[in-house]
Amino acid sequence: MPKIEVYEDALYKYIGKRVEGDDFVKLLTAAKAEFDGREDDILKIELNDTNRPDLWSTAGIARQLRVYTGGGKNEYSFFSTAEKVLDSGERSITVDHALKDIRPYIAGFAVRGGGIDEASLKDIIQTQEKLCWNYGQKRKAIAMGVYRSDLFEFPVRYIAADPDKEAFTPLGFEKKLTLREIVKEHPKGLEFGNIISGFHKYPYITDAEGKTLSLPPVINSNDIGAVIEGDRELFVEMTGTDIYSLLIATAIVACDLSDAGYEILPVKTIYPYDTPLGREVTAPFYFQQPVTADISYVNKLLGEDFTPDEAAQYGRKLGCRIEVSGSRLTLYPAVYRNDFLHPVDIIEDIMIGKGLPNFEPVMPDDFTMGKLTPETLYSRRIKNIMVGLGFQEMVYNYLGSGKDYIEKMNIKGSEVIRIANPMSESYEYLRASILPSLLNSEAVSGNAVYPHRIFETGKTGIRDNDDNYGVATINSLGFLSADRDAGFNLVSSQLSAVMFYISADYILKEAEDPRFISGRCAKVVLGGSSGKEIGIMGEISPQVLENWSIQMPCAGCELNLDLIMKHCGKL
Amino acid sequence: MNYDIKTLHPLEIRVLLNTGEEDITSDAIMEKLSFKLGQCNQAFSWLAAKGLIEEKERKQRVVYEITDTGRDLQKNGTPAERIFALISEKGPMRLPEINEALSLENKDTGTAFGQMSKDGVMALDEEKRACIKGSGISQSMKWARAVLDKGIKEGELEESALSPDEIKTISGISKKRGAGSSPFRVSGREDIVYRITASGKEVKKLLIDQGVTGEEIGSLTPEMLADGSWKNKTFRGYNVNTPPSRVLLGRHSPYAQFLDGVKDKLVSLGFEEFDGPLVESEFWNCDALFMPQFHSARDIHDVYHLAEPTSAKAIEQPYLDQVASAHKDGWKTGSRGWGYDFDKEFTKRLILRSQGTVISAKTLTKAKIPGKYFGILRCFRYDKVDATHLSDFYQTEGIVLGEDVTLKTLLGLLKMFAEEVAGATEVMYVPGYFPFTEPSVEVHIKHPVLGWFELGGAGIFRPEVTEPLGIHVPVLAWGLGIDRMALMSLGLNDLRELFTSDIEHLRLRRRSS
Repeated sequence: MPKIEVYEDALYKYIGKRVEGDDFVKLLTAAKAEFDGREDDILKIELNDTNRPDLWSTAGIARQLRVYTGGGKNEYSFFSTAEKVLDSGERSITVDHALKDIRPYIAGFAVRGGGIDEASLKDIIQTQEKLCWNYGQKRKAIAMGVYRSDLFEFPVRYIAADPDKEAFTPLGFEKKLTLREIVKEHPKGLEFGNIISGFHKYPYITDAEGKTLSLPPVINSNDIGAVIEGDRELFVEMTGTDIYSLLIATAIVACDLSDAGYEILPVKTIYPYDTPLGREVTAPFYFQQPVTADISYVNKLLGEDFTPDEAAQYGRKLGCRIEVSGSRLTLYPAVYRNDFLHPVDIIEDIMIGKGLPNFEPVMPDDFTMGKLTPETLYSRRIKNIMVGLGFQEMVYNYLGSGKDYIEKMNIKGSEVIRIANPMSESYEYLRASILPSLLNSEAVSGNAVYPHRIFETGKTGIRDNDDNYGVATINSLGFLSADRDAGFNLVSSQLSAVMFYISADYILKEAEDPRFISGRCAKVVLGGSSGKEIGIMGEISPQVLENWSIQMPCAGCELNLDLIMKHCGKL
Repeated sequence: MNYDIKTLHPLEIRVLLNTGEEDITSDAIMEKLSFKLGQCNQAFSWLAAKGLIEEKERKQRVVYEITDTGRDLQKNGTPAERIFALISEKGPMRLPEINEALSLENKDTGTAFGQMSKDGVMALDEEKRACIKGSGISQSMKWARAVLDKGIKEGELEESALSPDEIKTISGISKKRGAGSSPFRVSGREDIVYRITASGKEVKKLLIDQGVTGEEIGSLTPEMLADGSWKNKTFRGYNVNTPPSRVLLGRHSPYAQFLDGVKDKLVSLGFEEFDGPLVESEFWNCDALFMPQFHSARDIHDVYHLAEPTSAKAIEQPYLDQVASAHKDGWKTGSRGWGYDFDKEFTKRLILRSQGTVISAKTLTKAKIPGKYFGILRCFRYDKVDATHLSDFYQTEGIVLGEDVTLKTLLGLLKMFAEEVAGATEVMYVPGYFPFTEPSVEVHIKHPVLGWFELGGAGIFRPEVTEPLGIHVPVLAWGLGIDRMALMSLGLNDLRELFTSDIEHLRLRRRSS
């Protein structure tokens, strides 16, 4: 979830009044935002709604709070629609046909006004980062560039360029590099280059005369693309893979700059291929469709008895135009919003407009019978027996290292599930057995008074080709005794006690397992000699103990509770 | 006097009871109470430490203890006695003949004969034979016989109890060290003489007043029960404040008990528990919850992917097609959808379940209406492990299905959780955001100990979630963050401690509430 920093003064100027302390914290909830602290005159705010990128800037959050507190709506008259396209004059972008399969969409607008100040510049950079990172999937779906429009000539050309032939000086560098070199060498190339490096040609933006604007989505040029304080004429461009989110992002930045007092001038993009909005799209462009909800649906979900007008009145506090016709409410999304997928989304605006504290909590009155899963009940029964046998119950993590789960256990580990993208080696495997967890306890508990009797009932996961996922999750019981005379006889007695109280008839079958001492290990089998294997027990091999640096004999057992339940599980 | 006589050992009690103004010595007590010396010393040192007796003086004394050699001589006669008897019977003999007849060493015969001739009892005749002279054995032989007999009788001879002649005799046949070949071993000893103190007298009076004798029964034995010998006897009272020794016991994990407590609470509120596998498909983990496949929370840095196997064999129908359509164009849900082409291979990708809501979604396919469900489920997160983040941890989630559930029922439900599960004193709701609910609410509570914090999130499942899974009534979905309460309940402040491997930590851990 994005966090932004806003200048306190700028924010209150946009809102039109100061709202401080608890009132501010409360007001922020109307934007699903949380106050995250302050540093001097900078406020930190966390935004929870990932579908509301319009809130991720000083002007954006202020716009929402201003409308919510009755401060009135700003008008944005620079949007074209399908019906009415505004004049873009000389300002246009042409698109290379080859981009259709690389990075098909581009939209832009020009900005004119008083010299840009530090706060606005910082805000633009922050908006660019948050929009492109969180909403634009780390620039894959949306990348944005801002340029000094007095340094180049329209029409802007969006082309697919040969990465080895074209070269320019990227922002922050002093010498020219080819596009491929930039992707390989520039810090931003290393960070974002993988979005385009798989293509034969790279997206590339120049002006009418071939002067470089940028290599989207990687880096701007060092001259036209270097915006500084005091600039009065700017060009904002965005490229991406989805035309709708691209146009929303464009709209948001245009509205922010308009709120800051700049004039927004439309720019037309001319495509050589079809787009969902035609071959010519003039940005900023309003494409959003109205959404309609019946008042009965609103009242059903909110548990209220609003009239259509009441509901509309609440909903409008969130900034969108809502018209009422009979029992139907039609919402026209604000130009900077595109989070209305379903009539249910209108309902949330009505809820926030009315204010959550104004809804009376009602207890659910449907009768339902509560119950635990059979597995939970069975596990509780097993746990009580283990506690009665003098065991301390443990609760362990399920992720661990290959060293612990495989190497130290003396096993090959082919059945152990490995994570493809571990955060660290320490949490690279899903445990296939409880025994390593128990032995780890022994390894760190040499100072605890002996004897040790520990157990856990928990889940393990192992490879299982019969399962749809290829992995079986198993409810297991593992127990371990560590003591001077913790041996086969002890664990056998303990197992016998457990099995007696769950009425499980079992036999032991001699087994060889590298985790246990040869000749002192057995498989636990239910239902006679040709029955079902449900577990293993024995004296832990001294090699395994040495691997864990454990200096006390250990004997343990692990049982598959799911199988036991299946074969003799009556509660 | 306020003295806990239960702190006194029977040995101490008997010493006190048998002591008046006189000196207290080990000899006296051993004689009077048949104590062994060790018991005396133990009783004296305890009593002295408690200030009930005090040291009066220390006495030096000399003790002669008969040795095995002494016992042999007393029984079989000294060399002098045997020589005298031999000559008396057989007449004069040469010394080597005496040696042979009595199996004596030459020097012993020489020493004994020398002493006897010095005492005028024997002499050598002209033929150099030993012969009797005078009318009987010498006085020194009589004294030697006397101390030997006394030594056998008493074992140890106190020098102070011997006559000057006896002392003269016995000191001549004693050695301090290496006394094996001498009849007596002599040693110096120090006796401590005690006397009763004022508080000792008071305690003694207490003992008498309360009828304590020191003869009370200590441990009751099966034998006493069998033969009834406990009858008419009293039992020694124990000091109830003696520190007890440690017992190692079997115990439930307090964290597991905390979680079980939450489960029981939810069951009591009418919820049925659900559970599911640790490994899930992208389909159930995200797609079924209407999170678009390009959603940022589905990034490689947000969920754990399996290295092998990587994909599910199949995704259940008709849910796959219905969910895919809902993503693309809304299907029959009234939504416009996310407007992209759903990737039916990507959706099979296997991950470690990252949110408990997966199982809520799966439960929808078989849920009863009305129905209330919950699960406390292990989830996995791509997080750096520290005091507030774990790579795997429990989430508490659930759903409520019903024809008539509404936002207000949702608030009621959250209020119920806040009060019943978390013990909240105040509840506050704020708008929230979750990809799968609309509207969405967060509940913040004021806890009597923890103050204000976010207890959980909730909302009404989007129709794009419920309809493709075959549910046509509103579904309230909720999740509770109970870890902070767990930490508080266990007196901890680090999430890692909930899953500790340390046996001693766990043995000592208690629930504080």
